Amino acid sequence: MRSVGVGALMAGDPLLSVRDLHVRFATERGDVNAVNGVSFDLHEGQTLAIVGESGSGKSVTAKTLMNLLPRSARVSGEVTYGGHDVRALAAAGTKHFFGVQMTMVFQDPMTSLNPVKRVGEQIAETLRYHLGRSRSEARSEAVELLDTVGVPEPARRVRQYPHELSGGLRQRVVIAMALACRPRLLIADEPTTAVDVTVQKHLLDLLDDLRRRRGMSMILITHDLGVARGRADDVAVMYAGRVVETADADTLFADMRHPYTEALLRSIPRIEDPVHHRLDPIQGRPPESIDPPEACAFAPRCAYAQSDCLNGVPELDGLLGLHRFACLHPTGTERGAAAMSANQAAGVTAAGMPVGGDR
Amino acid sequence: MARFVLRRVALLLAVLFAVTFLGFAAMNLLGDPLVNVVGVLAELDCDAIEAGTAEDTTVDAASRDCDTVAAARAEYHLDRAVPVRYGLWLGDMATGDFGTSFQNDQPVSQVIREKLPETVILLVMAQAVALGLAVPWGVLAAYRANRAFDRGSTVASFGLLSVPNFALGVVLLYLLALRWQIFPSAYESDSVSGLLFSMVLPALTLGLPLAASYQRLLRTDLITTLQEDYVHMARAKGLPPMRIMFRHALRPSLFSVVTVFGVSTGTLIGGSLVVEQIFGIPGIGREIVTAVIRDDFPVVLAIVMVVAVTFVVLNFLVDLLYSWLDPRVRAR
Amino acid sequence: MRRLGFCFWLAVGWLAMMALVATFAPLLPIADPTEVAFGGPREAPSADAWFGTDALGRDVFSRTVHGARISLAVGGFAIVFGMVVGGGLGILAGYFRGRLDQGVGFVFFVLLSFPALVLAILITATLERSLLVVSLTIGILAVAPVGLLSRASTLVFAEREFVAAARVLGATHGRIIVRELLPNVVIPMGALTLLGMAVAVVAEGSLAFLGLSVAGDNAISWGKMIVDGSGLRDLQNAAHVTMFPVAVMFATVLSLNFAGDRIRQHFDVKELAF
Repeated sequence: MRSVGVGALMAGDPLLSVRDLHVRFATERGDVNAVNGVSFDLHEGQTLAIVGESGSGKSVTAKTLMNLLPRSARVSGEVTYGGHDVRALAAAGTKHFFGVQMTMVFQDPMTSLNPVKRVGEQIAETLRYHLGRSRSEARSEAVELLDTVGVPEPARRVRQYPHELSGGLRQRVVIAMALACRPRLLIADEPTTAVDVTVQKHLLDLLDDLRRRRGMSMILITHDLGVARGRADDVAVMYAGRVVETADADTLFADMRHPYTEALLRSIPRIEDPVHHRLDPIQGRPPESIDPPEACAFAPRCAYAQSDCLNGVPELDGLLGLHRFACLHPTGTERGAAAMSANQAAGVTAAGMPVGGDR
Repeated sequence: MARFVLRRVALLLAVLFAVTFLGFAAMNLLGDPLVNVVGVLAELDCDAIEAGTAEDTTVDAASRDCDTVAAARAEYHLDRAVPVRYGLWLGDMATGDFGTSFQNDQPVSQVIREKLPETVILLVMAQAVALGLAVPWGVLAAYRANRAFDRGSTVASFGLLSVPNFALGVVLLYLLALRWQIFPSAYESDSVSGLLFSMVLPALTLGLPLAASYQRLLRTDLITTLQEDYVHMARAKGLPPMRIMFRHALRPSLFSVVTVFGVSTGTLIGGSLVVEQIFGIPGIGREIVTAVIRDDFPVVLAIVMVVAVTFVVLNFLVDLLYSWLDPRVRAR
Repeated sequence: MRRLGFCFWLAVGWLAMMALVATFAPLLPIADPTEVAFGGPREAPSADAWFGTDALGRDVFSRTVHGARISLAVGGFAIVFGMVVGGGLGILAGYFRGRLDQGVGFVFFVLLSFPALVLAILITATLERSLLVVSLTIGILAVAPVGLLSRASTLVFAEREFVAAARVLGATHGRIIVRELLPNVVIPMGALTLLGMAVAVVAEGSLAFLGLSVAGDNAISWGKMIVDGSGLRDLQNAAHVTMFPVAVMFATVLSLNFAGDRIRQHFDVKELAF
């Protein structure tokens, strides 16, 4: 099998399906469980946002999908793309799968372009390798692509080196490069984190627009719930290697259940907030992932934490594809309210975090 | 750029000046050059002979001994002070007159013309061996870093780097020329192919340890480069591993190798003194050893000069090569 | 502290043995290395002559043992000389900067523009080749590489707070150099001693191979033994005459390199560009 095409999917079948994905790294200090049983589906033409802090396992998940992990990583679980086992395809060295079917855009445009090659060459390269274009065809297509992603003077830019472009332009080049072979799935790993704030929205809109026009599916990885809002069809919130809450975007933003999701949303500034509104940073740090205790990983930072949170890891409840969350005392429920008021009365959570009376 | 070149040229001239002056002073002050030119005749007291107070012992009436001595003194400006002599020698050099060998009255320029090509062929072949081996070797080691092949090649390169090249030369000569008789044991110049074939062992002797050091540098730099985002990006673009290695990772990983390429030429020239001796190659390496032992200072100085110029110019070219390797250097 | 590993101690063991054997060679119960016709010419290794005999019937084993003396003496002296002179010049240049730095830098550049062996034969051919002259010659070769390294690390340390603090407190230049810079610059360089010694031992061998190392029949050197036995007919008929000194020299240089590299890694010092 030299290449993998994906024909028409059966109605309702997902384009990408991930089941019980685990990724472990062996380090000198012990095993790190970077991803702990992640499952999700992504349907054709849809956008899934994976949201979490650094260290939550979201980038590792993305790299696993693209088979970009170092050899020291131990992966288990199932990843299928249009019914094909992606890891088996990668292991077999299947040509024209990555880059053509699915591809990825990285966080930092400063480092994701090869500094010693002209940008045109870097775009044309995939066209020539995957689609067998001639040198001149590939060159002119590269110019068109740069035009598509909104790079001014594309004919001049193709002859430039990455260091001659601004950060925003570079990220556009990266996007053009990723989209060259019209992939059906794009994984965008924090595509706007490293660029200027003023450029971020333009880039996100560009990605969204291209996705819509090309009927592409997208996994948008971000630490910013605000980025996910309005652009994602589904949202999965990750914490310490697990999905802690997932739902379609409308449900999630309207009716969030996990205290971590709530804390994430509170920690970002919003336009509607009054001036001098105090943001609520999330207390504490993300947990160590070597030898984690058998408990809810968020409990030490959670204002709702009760003693049962410290006994065993909460399951992600609910049906796949519907609103699911892994919390024993979800926010917006009676159990949650009870937990909160108990903690406020005590002035401290079960995990020992002090709680202010008025929040 | 122009300023860069000018500074380099100024530095080159200053270095040549210093190098030749040191060499010149050493050769002149540490031995009597007249003895080296005319041998025992230097003992003659020609002033006394001219004045008639001493007997002229010349055997051959056609050329009086004292005329020979006087001619030698004039030729090499031996009656002047050393700094003046150096200035005159430098002037001669500038006009292309490299002087005459004390040994066999050959013009030094001719000696160089005859011997230099052999050494250049040897050095080029040695570098070709080194780079030709080191690039695939380093790429494979980095591709499977810390696996069996990589570990094995670390040991092998460590070993190669610890063999003095005269020892390696003798061992290769013994095994490949005498024992298994794959290569000729000595220099041949009957035909071009024969010449090149007879240069294989000497080139291996010089090139193998160099290949080992290139390999180690390339491996380390490649492993660093392979962590770069643009390599991940290339993988995400679905390019095959070896294409990524050669088209994306190799060029940015060549900096250390290129730096050492410049410096190693000095080491190779040093090595050629020994290797030309072992394999009987009539190059400038063997020539300078002979010339030094016989105090044939016009030849020594000329070779030192050629070597120093080559070395400095080559390292200048290496600096230019950096800007090809990384276009960002050009912008600075 | 990372462990140095078994191989490191093996290398150190070999070096210690060579040093002991070299020091006490005349006292050891082995043949006189200069005794011609100790056995027949070019005898194969036997119980009497472990490494066989050379063309003059001399005991190769005894000569190899005695050969360690010059190699190690020259290697050790040369690297100490290089460290003291090169290290000192580097510190002065890096600390005082300006004219002195330019001058010293130029001297280093000139030294490095000569292929090392060419420089060495220039000196040894014109002077009387005593142990001291040969050691000094190779020591001079070590000056520039060591000097560049010490200058570079001096530049780094001279910018650090503790040096600035000492200066503000009114310490003299001499005091700053001796108290603050010397310890910080010398320790990392010390970690490179064995690596430098390996280079020096090879350099001595090369000179000996060209017949330009320590002169005299009593001056036995591995390089000289190797060249003596490397004529085509000698190699063909009595390879042991060269191969034993080659093997011993290889083991010694390998041990120096290996132990040196381990020590360098251990102290996390950058490699020296010889």
